This record gives sequence, C-alpha cells and structure tokens, in this order.
Amino acid sequence: MKVKDLLKEENFRIIAGEEGIEKELQGVYIGDLLSWVMAHLQENEAWITIQSHVNVIAVGVLNDAACILLAEGASLDEDAKKKANEENLAVIETNLTAYELAVKVNKLMKENE
Amino acid sequence: MKELSLHILDIVQNSLKANATLIKIKIVEDFIKDRLTIDIKDNGKGMSSDLLKSVTDPFVTTRDTRRVGLGISLLKATAEQCEGSLRVESEEGKGTGIHATFQHSHIDRAPLGSMEDTLTTLLITSEEQMEGGENTSTVDYVYEHQVNDESFVFDTREVKKILEGTPINDLEILDWIKGYLKENLETLVKS
Repeated sequence: MKVKDLLKEENFRIIAGEEGIEKELQGVYIGDLLSWVMAHLQENEAWITIQSHVNVIAVGVLNDAACILLAEGASLDEDAKKKANEENLAVIETNLTAYELAVKVNKLMKENE
Repeated sequence: MKELSLHILDIVQNSLKANATLIKIKIVEDFIKDRLTIDIKDNGKGMSSDLLKSVTDPFVTTRDTRRVGLGISLLKATAEQCEGSLRVESEEGKGTGIHATFQHSHIDRAPLGSMEDTLTTLLITSEEQMEGGENTSTVDYVYEHQVNDESFVFDTREVKKILEGTPINDLEILDWIKGYLKENLETLVKS
C-alpha cells in the first residue's frame, strides 16, 4: 500500500511533507528514543512516535521511513515541519495511541494487499 | 519529558516547596565544547545528607512523604542518556543546587522548549503560593541564558523595581515579560 491510503481514514491529518504520500508502506515501527529508532527503523516502515522536533525528521529521512505517524495528539514544531516539507517526508497527526495506530495500519495493509 | 523546560519547571517546584525566595536558573549552550548545561540554585531550606543521598533514587522519593518528587531522578536519566550527568549539592538552611549537563548535539537530547512559557508559568504559580495576599511576590527569579559567550539575564528583582508595586503576575505585565523574553532569547540563539 501507499502512504496516501492512510489519508482515507478520518482523524489522520497530514501536516507536512505532502509530496511524500506516494511512498510505499510495508510495515510499522514504534519508538520514541531516537538513537534506538535510528538503529532499528527499517526502510518503508511507517514510524509511530510522540517526538515532535526536528531530529525526528532527520531520523525518518536517514532510515527511509515511509512516513511519520504522530500518536496521541503530538504535533510538529515549525522547524520540523519545514524540514519535512524539504525532504518530502509525510507527517501525519492523529489522536490515537501508538497501539491503536499500529493496529489500524495493520488492518489497512491487509485490506490493501 | 518532551522538552527540557518541563524538567526545569518540575525542579523549580521543589525549590518553591523548600520555601526558596530566590531561584537562579542558568542555561549555557556551548557549541564549541558541544555542551548544554542547566543550573538551578535556590536559597530554600536545603536537604539533610540522608535525603541528598536518596534524592536521585526514584524508589525512595516516591514514598508517601514525597517531599521531593521524581523530577531529579528523571532529569538525571535524561542527562545520562545524552552523555551527560547530574549533580546535586545541598546544605540544610542554605539551599540546593542542581547541575545537569548534556551533549548538545546528542540525538536523544530533547529540545529546550519554550523558556518564556516556563518562566511566565513560574511567575503565576509562585504568586499563588504566597500567603496573606500581599501585592509583592515573595519569590524572585534570576534567569541567565548563555550561548557561546553571549548572554542574556532576566532578574525579577529588577522588573519589580520598575513596576513600583504593580503585581508581576498582572496579565498585561506577564504578556509583556513573555514577549520580552521571547525576543531576547531568539536574538541570542541567532547570534
């Protein structure tokens, strides 16, 4: 499936990196400790986190994440939005918990197989 | 915590609980040495050597006394995660000092966050903890922020002199303070 298939869900609000929605999405990774995420996030995974500063975009780009999904109403600061736009990395805001988000993405992946 | 300023807010609450009347917050960003340091010093009642030993142990501090919360333990863990450390000094009757260091560029170092929000929040809460409903705050803050060798100092004692009795937590005053801090801190970081 593609990142844009997530946007059909209500409550998934894209807030930056709109150019990146054509990316393939092949899995999910959850983590908030950036150094740990850097070592484990795989290419084309949607990364679920509550972190919201510019380093998040750096890690997302470095590891070729499909997109970033912000859980529990976390948002991006202006610097991070700018960087996500420059790097075409889609960032999607939601009010769901990381667990609910992962379950939802899993369901969508099955539907879009 | 998502921002270091929230840690600062939390630790200053300890100072307020210890009846401090002067709290000094100093932040140093040294890009040459790649260090960020946070110093919080108060003139509150201080801690006994027993409490001082246990202050970074979360299991001691969560007992029902809770004179000191988890704030120091959490900040210590955050600092150590970022190639830094935390030191506490305290003397009964004299006050307490917290000194935390971080590697400035460490990937896990949370952003500092909005210090202008933190300081205005503190100005509101300290006023609420006052007794007797006087119009002058019993707590003063000195906030110093240094970036390399440029620095900015905000001292509520100076502000109160200018205010001539108008309460510092007056909404218009707070609004002005917030703007003033924001402007100066932005200029400092740009330098």
